[in-house]
Amino acid sequence: MHKHLLFAFSFASVLTAQSQDFGKAYSFEERKPRTRVEQVIDQRLPSIVKVHGASGLATISAYATGIIVSKQGHILTLDQVMIQKDRTRVVLYDGSVHQAQLLPEEPRFGVRLLKIDPALVNGELQPVWPPAEAEAKFRTGQFVVSLGNSFRLAEFSEKVSATFGVVVGRANTALRYRMADVKYDGDLILTDACNNPGQFGGGLFTLDGRWIGLNMKLLDSKETNTMVSAAIPTRDLLPYLEEHVLGKHTAEAVVNKPAPWTGIVLFERAGLQSPPAYVDRVITGSPADTLGLRPDDLVVRINDYSIRTCREFREVLGRFAAGETVQVTWKRGTKVQQASMVLASEPKK
Amino acid sequence: MNHFVRAIGVALVLGPALLSQRGTDPDEFEHLEPVLQAALAKASPFVVAVETFGGTRTISGSEGPTDSDEPPAPRVPPKPAKKPENKPAEPKSEEPKPDAPKPDEPKPAEPKPGEEGPPAPQPVPMPGSDPKPDENKPDENEGDEDKPGKKKGLPLKAPGFQQTLGKTTGIVLTADGWILVSRFALNLEPTTILITVPGRGTFHAQRAGEDTSRGIALVKIDATDLPVPEFVHPANVKIGQWAFALGRTFATEEPTVHIGIVSAQRRVFGRALQIDAYTSPANYGGPVVDVHGRVLGMAVPLSPAGRNAGVEWYDSGIGFAVTIADIPHLIERMQKGQVLQRGWLGVQFEPSFLGPGAKISSTPKDGVAAKVGMRKGDVILEVDGVAVMNGPHFQMLVSSHLGGDSITIKIRQDEGAEPVVMGPLVLLDAPWSEQKQKKDTDLPASFSLPEKK
Repeated sequence: MHKHLLFAFSFASVLTAQSQDFGKAYSFEERKPRTRVEQVIDQRLPSIVKVHGASGLATISAYATGIIVSKQGHILTLDQVMIQKDRTRVVLYDGSVHQAQLLPEEPRFGVRLLKIDPALVNGELQPVWPPAEAEAKFRTGQFVVSLGNSFRLAEFSEKVSATFGVVVGRANTALRYRMADVKYDGDLILTDACNNPGQFGGGLFTLDGRWIGLNMKLLDSKETNTMVSAAIPTRDLLPYLEEHVLGKHTAEAVVNKPAPWTGIVLFERAGLQSPPAYVDRVITGSPADTLGLRPDDLVVRINDYSIRTCREFREVLGRFAAGETVQVTWKRGTKVQQASMVLASEPKK
Repeated sequence: MNHFVRAIGVALVLGPALLSQRGTDPDEFEHLEPVLQAALAKASPFVVAVETFGGTRTISGSEGPTDSDEPPAPRVPPKPAKKPENKPAEPKSEEPKPDAPKPDEPKPAEPKPGEEGPPAPQPVPMPGSDPKPDENKPDENEGDEDKPGKKKGLPLKAPGFQQTLGKTTGIVLTADGWILVSRFALNLEPTTILITVPGRGTFHAQRAGEDTSRGIALVKIDATDLPVPEFVHPANVKIGQWAFALGRTFATEEPTVHIGIVSAQRRVFGRALQIDAYTSPANYGGPVVDVHGRVLGMAVPLSPAGRNAGVEWYDSGIGFAVTIADIPHLIERMQKGQVLQRGWLGVQFEPSFLGPGAKISSTPKDGVAAKVGMRKGDVILEVDGVAVMNGPHFQMLVSSHLGGDSITIKIRQDEGAEPVVMGPLVLLDAPWSEQKQKKDTDLPASFSLPEKK
């Protein structure tokens, strides 16, 4: 058995050395695809690349996966510390290795575009592009294929790993802030097609071949104390891609948000564990006073954000600005009540 | 009939699929997708979100005592407290009535005699005074201190699972506001429980009874006309059928879904289905539904080996769904606020004795068995009229019972002697079960605040 393997390997090496057709440099027999899953994998694999870099830290992997998004050589990947200038290489489907140039990152999503020289590519690149209105097109319970280089298993022109799963759900915005490493506010695609190290930066595809998500690293969920596989919906990446690949520029207005003030003084004690957000006092004339909040009420929610502790109350409130209207939910006795509150600025003393 | 209907359903779903795929591999996932969507849509209305507030963060998981029939003896806490008065070990002629006083009900102010342990009133007397983390845990392990090999002083270290205050999931049980939740959601002994029914708003929930052997609990909200699921009796479940585990932790509009199949039936002594859909805190307390959106069971962290164990198996492909349709009598008791625990006879059997019957190797002195005179070397021949094949069979027959249940045992006490019948014997609550739960079923909705100036 081993002898055969060795033989096959050396035979392949000979081919590599001699053949100019790099696509077949390390080829093997495989039957034609029959099912949708097989078709999607076959169709999308040529767009997936392996990204290798250098890492100075033991905990940060020096490899990831990337997705070709333009024929000009743009490749989208997760921005890891591994990406050091001049040391980032991209391995295409045919096994060819290319030096990658770094384009500006998108810090909110933690993604970055790389660029390789299309002139050095054997044949034509096969890009994918996020489908328009992808938002409407992924649903909970939809089957997905995840393509990525898990644990850097794929060497040279070997195909990256394909895993299969389902869209577990859409983690809504309010839950986002309890997931480590997520800096932006949009919904995430949760999936059970596991994001092993290296799988990140790869793509999540539906059975009809649409590219709906960019795999993230395994997320640490503070909500459950478990690890969660998630992907960034590609629709959310469109502005970044359009700016740097298509050259469209969308200016973002930077606004300084005035800090919000509710007039609620919570019953809080120093300690390891922050207590539930019971109202201790309500400042007269404050937004909370207008709402009719009273001491002993328990604030349980602001918009969709659950408020389990005083600490969370402050954190969540910090996501809003004075002048904004939020839905506040509180519990008085056994009654749960809800009303809109217009956040104010703290009055000057 | 039921099978027949399902067979037609499956044929309808797969028939065209197979026909259209003639000559190719069937691509069942493409055809399963709409089925899954439909089940999801059907189930979504009765999958509720459970939010808890207050309570003490504890670590559950492998730290917890196990209750394989291995040595329960050293674990017997020195303080079964008020247990004996309700669950006498004496033979009783009748089953305990469902409305018999539950262990925690007679909770008069009388202090427990001679207890050195925890401060008698449970913590959390007022907001902001959450006890320090871990306050609960050490005394829970007090009973273990006499166990050889158990190190004192470090009961709380990993391995284990630090539970968060995170949102969990529940299932509407009745239209008039009974909600089935996972015991896992109440592990922290929250002071406030809120239930959000999709499209109906958020309700304050009162805690009722629970079954610690199944890891389920009941709460009551003040609502009517709630959407009620159909619960499938485990007798109508087949190993290999699709099982979808739904959860509300990470999603609000529609529940999250993990897919898998029924891996095994009647696990944990007949209490649960085993499924290979991923279960985790993201869907504990959520329903495991079939392709028609009917509830096969509730996903809970559970394992045959322990009380809280199972959480560390999250997303492992080994999940448990406690079946509900087969326990209406227990639901009724839980609605009355009873805390049900695994039953305990107090015998260990001799593994090298291959049967017929189960040979006793020891009888812990606090157990029912010791009190009625069972001894080492006795051979148990029958449990409730069922001939005992061997030790594991005996364990299976007894472990499916809860504390307070009665069983009758036929036993041969001396070599060659005539077998005698003992019983009915009323089982005790398993001593290593969760003894320390909060006894208040009426948790105060709020607390009086200290005087203010």
